[in-house]
Amino acid sequence: MERLGKRTLRATAAGVAATLAIAGCSGQDLEGGNEDNASGGQVTLKVAFWGDMGLDKLKAAYEKDHPNVKIVLNSGEYNAQHEDLQKKLVAGSGAPDISAIDEGFIVQFRSQADKFVNYLDKGGAEFESKYLPWKWKQSLSPDGKQIGLGTDVGGLAMCYRTDLFQKAGLPTDRDAVSKLWPNWDAFLNVGKQYVAKTGKKFVDSGTNMFNPVLAQQPVGFYNEQEQLQMEGGPKVAFDVSMKAIEADLSADLASFQPNWDQGFKKDQFAVLACPAWMLGHIQDTAPEQKGKWDIAAIPGGGGNWGGSWWTVPSQGKNVDAAVDFVKWMVQPEQQIEVFKTVGNLPSQPALYKDPAVLDYKKEFMSNAPTGQIFAATAENLQPQYLGKKNGPTRVAVENVITRVQQGGLKPEAAWAEAVKEAEKAAKS
Amino acid sequence: MSLTQLRPSAQHRAEPPRTPNKVKLWLYRFDTKTVPYALIAPFFLLFGVFGLFPIIFNGVVALRNWRLDDPTLTGWAGFGNFTKLLSDEDFWNALGNTFGIFLLSTVPQLLAALIVASVLNRRLRATTWWRIGVLLPYLTPVVASTLVFAVFFSRDYGMANWFLSLVGFGESDPLDWRAAKWSSWIAIATMVNWKWIGYNALLYLSAMQTIPKDVYEAAAVDGAGPWRQLWRITVPMIQPVVVFTVILSTIGGLQLFNEPMMFDENPQSASGGSDHQFQTIAQLIYKVGWKDLNLGYAAAMSWALFLIILIVAGVNALLTKRIGGDR
Repeated sequence: MERLGKRTLRATAAGVAATLAIAGCSGQDLEGGNEDNASGGQVTLKVAFWGDMGLDKLKAAYEKDHPNVKIVLNSGEYNAQHEDLQKKLVAGSGAPDISAIDEGFIVQFRSQADKFVNYLDKGGAEFESKYLPWKWKQSLSPDGKQIGLGTDVGGLAMCYRTDLFQKAGLPTDRDAVSKLWPNWDAFLNVGKQYVAKTGKKFVDSGTNMFNPVLAQQPVGFYNEQEQLQMEGGPKVAFDVSMKAIEADLSADLASFQPNWDQGFKKDQFAVLACPAWMLGHIQDTAPEQKGKWDIAAIPGGGGNWGGSWWTVPSQGKNVDAAVDFVKWMVQPEQQIEVFKTVGNLPSQPALYKDPAVLDYKKEFMSNAPTGQIFAATAENLQPQYLGKKNGPTRVAVENVITRVQQGGLKPEAAWAEAVKEAEKAAKS
Repeated sequence: MSLTQLRPSAQHRAEPPRTPNKVKLWLYRFDTKTVPYALIAPFFLLFGVFGLFPIIFNGVVALRNWRLDDPTLTGWAGFGNFTKLLSDEDFWNALGNTFGIFLLSTVPQLLAALIVASVLNRRLRATTWWRIGVLLPYLTPVVASTLVFAVFFSRDYGMANWFLSLVGFGESDPLDWRAAKWSSWIAIATMVNWKWIGYNALLYLSAMQTIPKDVYEAAAVDGAGPWRQLWRITVPMIQPVVVFTVILSTIGGLQLFNEPMMFDENPQSASGGSDHQFQTIAQLIYKVGWKDLNLGYAAAMSWALFLIILIVAGVNALLTKRIGGDR
């Protein structure tokens, strides 16, 4: 009897322990922040973003002024952060208190505006007049909810290698280079000269011709009625990229991939369409090329690539504290601080007149006045409506351009294929 | 020994310790009838939560409209998602790619594993060293090895093209492994083969060691060479393990995701090459669900894949049994 009892007890204990272990997974233990909140008015805010958004100093300053607030920074990989946010929104819990969302994903999330705090309900309307109009509009949902307060914009300029330009007998001064290419046809001609002289390629890829040209068009892939408009802007941009490929200017490297990084070091291209945040990438990839890069105007004038917003998922427990922190982060002093630390260009035009931005010179890029250059392109940009299916459509058309580069598709047949693929993406 | 001795006497029957026996009986019954279930319960609980529930939930989602980018589009879709699947050329393309890569990887992989195992089964110096050695690729995290292979098969500075240039191929115009179906399939199949040959070889080896040596000796006396011994003796005798590896690699091969995903120049698009040359079904499911944000349709694809795997694994198992049994 003694033995039997012990065995039963052991078995039952094991079963209970296992059951508890399973049940424990779904409990509140994992969300440490809430406990703090309930007990002592202490608030923990989790902030999710990618790369370096210059928050370290801001976090310290804010925590000092607000002793009851603890800020946890979570920097991850760009795509992973967005996908993780999407999954947590579907699941209904687990999302960060504050999440950065990039231009490439804002359309996807603004159509789920009911899952985010509407800043207009939290006194955010006062910010509208401070922002670039197109920046404010991009994070506005179709039914007029504002899910994001803008932090940075990319702007767009053309970075070029002064040493390679010199070898090819081209001017190296940034104003003279800007005059070389008032428009994209002139740019392609410069490219042909360069290739003829050096035997090397001029641009990194056809897709990096397509995207900046498309960004300069008044209408992108979709009009405001969400209809695909391939014959307008996309056709113009596609033709430029085809001309670049046919003239053999492209090194056919996919952006942000190992081969592309190699391309920097092996001088496989001499120019690169670059937004403000790209400077950091060049610097990290090819630190030995310090002083060999400079920045000229982008052909056609104006343009933007990237830039983010701060959003607050409404499932959070400390929504109001999160909104307060975001409002503080987008104040001029903090935005200037971020610009100084990491170089991200603010999205509030008043700051472009600030001496800190105006007089800033980037040493790595031959002391180019990056603040002035990128601010000018951001201000000149025509706001373009991005449709719901903008992301997949762009990928589909980029793939067609890559197929031409790989030689699997003739340039003459490419446009028809691009239209077909874009229509498929529009329906997906 | 007579039966009467077993029967308790009247004296015994009158004795009191009847009540503790009841408790003992109950505990005994509890132990034999209930405890086994309690002990296996954790597995079934976990399986229910992480296995069965997702499959059923997935089936429900497959019958509904669920788009993240359009919350208004919701409700039952019936078999709409499945009928859409039949006329979706992306799906058929992905199915073709999956089977192509599956054949290029599974068949050479199992054959090579068989040969490696029979070599390892002979007397060798440093046996343990060799046996651990073939298992090393399996221990390497798939992400790490795939990244290395992605560089190995790169167009401009890849080692694969360097080897090819040594034999005078593509010196001026290097092969872009990702551009065509055949080359991308070979590259991906190579990654899969590299990883799994050693694992399967060890499984075969352990089965081979149970085969009595005298069978081989008898065969050798009758004049059967090593090749004939392998096919006539070894394979039929380790047939259950062969069936097991065939089923496992069928499941793994049809769910192929990591390798094509990370082989792509632009992994984030999940398009499996510029013209979907090497987009597998698992990759397409991921793209439809998390890039196109069409969860209902992605769920329908998952169920379709589930059924395809069931059928193919069943057919393969039958075929393998047949082959082994006949010989």
